[in-house]
Amino acid sequence: MSSPLLALRGVSKSYPQGSLVDRLFGGASNFVALDDVTLEIARGDVVGIVGESGSGKSTLASLAVGLARPTAGEILLDGESLAGLMRDHAGPWRRRIQMVFQDSSSALNPRKTIARCLAETLALRGVPRATREDDAIALLALVGLGAEMAPRLPHELSGGQRQRVGLARALAMKPDILIADEPVSSLDVSLQAQVINLLSRLTRELGLTLLFISHDLAVVRTLCTRIIVMRQGRIVEEGPCLDVLARPAHPYTQLLISSVPKGIAGRRAPAAVVSATSSVG
Amino acid sequence: MKRLAQLARSADWTGWLGAAIVVVMIGAAISASWVAPYDPVAISIEHRLSAPGAEHWLGTDQAGRDVLSRIIHGARASLAVGIGAVIIGALLGVSAGLFAAYKGGLGDQITMRIVDGIASIPLLVWAIAIVGVLGVGPVSIGSLQLPNEVKIVTLVGCLFSPVFARVTYAVAKRIVGADYVKARYLQGASHWQIVIGEVLPNCLSPIIVQATLLVAIGIVIEASISFVGLGVQPPQASWGTMLSDARNALYSGEWWLPVFPGLAISVTVIGFNLLGDAVRDLFDPRSEARTLVA
Amino acid sequence: MSAPLLKIEDLHVGFRGAGGAVEAVRGVDFSIASGEIVGIVGESGSGKSLSMLAVMRLLGATARATGGRVIFDGEDLLAASETRMREIRGRDIAMVFQDPQSSLNPALTIGRQVTDVVRAHRRMSIGEARRIAIEALERVGISGASRRLDAYPHEFSGGMRQRALIAMAIACRPRLLIADEPTTALDVTVQAQIVDLIAELRRDLGLAVIFISHNLQLVAEIVDRVVVMYGGKVVEDGPAVDIDCAARHPYTRLLKACVPSLQGPLGPLVAIDGAPPRLGRMPPGCPFAPRCPQVADICRHEMPALVRDGARRVACWRPQ
Repeated sequence: MSSPLLALRGVSKSYPQGSLVDRLFGGASNFVALDDVTLEIARGDVVGIVGESGSGKSTLASLAVGLARPTAGEILLDGESLAGLMRDHAGPWRRRIQMVFQDSSSALNPRKTIARCLAETLALRGVPRATREDDAIALLALVGLGAEMAPRLPHELSGGQRQRVGLARALAMKPDILIADEPVSSLDVSLQAQVINLLSRLTRELGLTLLFISHDLAVVRTLCTRIIVMRQGRIVEEGPCLDVLARPAHPYTQLLISSVPKGIAGRRAPAAVVSATSSVG
Repeated sequence: MKRLAQLARSADWTGWLGAAIVVVMIGAAISASWVAPYDPVAISIEHRLSAPGAEHWLGTDQAGRDVLSRIIHGARASLAVGIGAVIIGALLGVSAGLFAAYKGGLGDQITMRIVDGIASIPLLVWAIAIVGVLGVGPVSIGSLQLPNEVKIVTLVGCLFSPVFARVTYAVAKRIVGADYVKARYLQGASHWQIVIGEVLPNCLSPIIVQATLLVAIGIVIEASISFVGLGVQPPQASWGTMLSDARNALYSGEWWLPVFPGLAISVTVIGFNLLGDAVRDLFDPRSEARTLVA
Repeated sequence: MSAPLLKIEDLHVGFRGAGGAVEAVRGVDFSIASGEIVGIVGESGSGKSLSMLAVMRLLGATARATGGRVIFDGEDLLAASETRMREIRGRDIAMVFQDPQSSLNPALTIGRQVTDVVRAHRRMSIGEARRIAIEALERVGISGASRRLDAYPHEFSGGMRQRALIAMAIACRPRLLIADEPTTALDVTVQAQIVDLIAELRRDLGLAVIFISHNLQLVAEIVDRVVVMYGGKVVEDGPAVDIDCAARHPYTRLLKACVPSLQGPLGPLVAIDGAPPRLGRMPPGCPFAPRCPQVADICRHEMPALVRDGARRVACWRPQ
């Protein structure tokens, strides 16, 4: 029996609040962003973490990739303590866990061409100079972009294309686990579907383990096999995605589900009578 | 080359004017010995105080020295101090700003408080006071003899460094939080690679704008220090000493003595400022997209 | 049949750019009756927000209404003086924006900001204005309004701030409320509450509402009629039921299909290829032609007219 690829054991994260003076004299309170969270992600899992602002879902992501350290608890990457691994900032463990960011406009260095961005990433993985260019083109193809994107700068791309490049950059490290923090919420609706379908295809074809953070239940339903619902730094419900959505046990999950816009089917008040004459253009 | 082509297309005439002034001034300073029509220190009693004319385009001073030649030679001291001080200030200040912004926490606090301390020093007064205390003689390090200007350059450079530190810090702090920097960090890139490859290039445009503005201020400082007699020593020419020598001429009617060095200072300062504005526009990678919407 | 409350005719809005003017709104027409609630749906760059800013004459320095008319209650707003517009804004037409954070002044109390709006339009004592402010805050569901009057914006949550902004908007009893993505910056559960509130205000106060959103499903829950915009033009318009369930324009259909739902079958989502056209790079014919699965030759060369069919209008050469 192998250990889970990523495990959080009683992980908490709090931030000191108040001014420097308050902090020095102990007058400050702590803001608890994550409160005693335990979860395990097995190889090949596609897990959706759902919650609203303040639920701690983004904090969880930054702790899991090693951008921040937990105040309490332990994070294990394939059985090894992340706190121990982090002593070696540039260690080989880094490539195993990669992240896709929310804001497509800040995810790429505005001064670097797409080709250079990918080539520099490949260099860090130790890909020889000679094959970097071909590898970069292959990565672009993997995320559905043509080689003509390579010489462009980020601002010459659409939001959806930039998110794909961000994904290609993460994949360039050949990660075992990918953490995507709201990767489609900054995109226009007509572009969201493209990126969701791409992620769905990649998890199947590459056997990628994905931790997908979102506020959108419907997106999580499309993509994920497991769902974790978070509220105020705690996990309130978790389980197989379709089961939880069909039979939510926690009242907060029920509230989230009932809040999803449902179009005409979701009309609460009786629809007003619309006369054809009122809409004369 | 691509940048140059972009400059040709996008820069408006003010940028070109600034660049032209700066190029002419630097060119004059470098080739002063060849382009100056006369020896700047050659005294000629019979030609003293002659008004601008065919022989001496900008006239001569009390010792009969050619004003144009002295201005051309004076450009050396002015630009050397201005540019040299900016280079020293930028090296110190940009490193401090980058370090503080990237390091964060206690390192950030300590570095930036030191910067605040240096910045609270009144720039010009201190430069004059320190040179006054150290004296105006050349600096000797072992067998190496360095001219008096080295003191001024180093001093003004140190005094410029907080300006660079603050500008760099303000921009770098924002860049350090950007997702592309986080991504690079998560790839296991070294701190050096992140700071030099990701953060610094995105801070460059305000730094360069600041640098061109400070060159102008450096020129004014050099003139001020030389004006009070602590900079370039007679008979060597500098714009500040020329103005200093011309103080009495204001009352006796030799207008060309203060006007031309004064003009040289003003025009050079304006040139660097115009260039700075143009460079700022040029360095924005989204400049094309911006002109479409604006 | 009475005249519509607001009638927008062939509205054009352009940006002044280095290479001449760039048109972002390219001939929008629609109207809204008193008490009606209309949703405008479109993606970024569709011109939906820009058209409404043009109605309010709040375009700023770079954009300008370059053509058309905006008739509000018989008066052309595009031709009205700035003094007249200041009377109309807030009193007759009020607007609520996307980001409740930046729409409130952090240095003034909520009460001060609501009473200021009221007193800008009607001469009255501070006491009277406070009474109206409390009434408006209670109306939008802020409990204990008389105490909350002295609170500062940072003491309110995002949802409460948006409620306070809606209270400011309705305090002067306007006849038309324009809500520009009022829920986009909010959490889903709060979004549902705000949408309910807007529907309720419209019913109780007889307010006409223009609800701008990128989310067709959200809008269809409360509006009578949906106007779909794409590339600076109205591509389809009709009763909410028809637009949500039987859209005729391929864009509207795909817009519904590409958003995942909580019911529906699993499997890949219907995706729309390509990206919305960029400003200044509009295709010559139908703006949706480069991405349309049913594109015909004519779509690429000629923009179809917005053709009326009963209560509906559609601009497509091959409507379904």
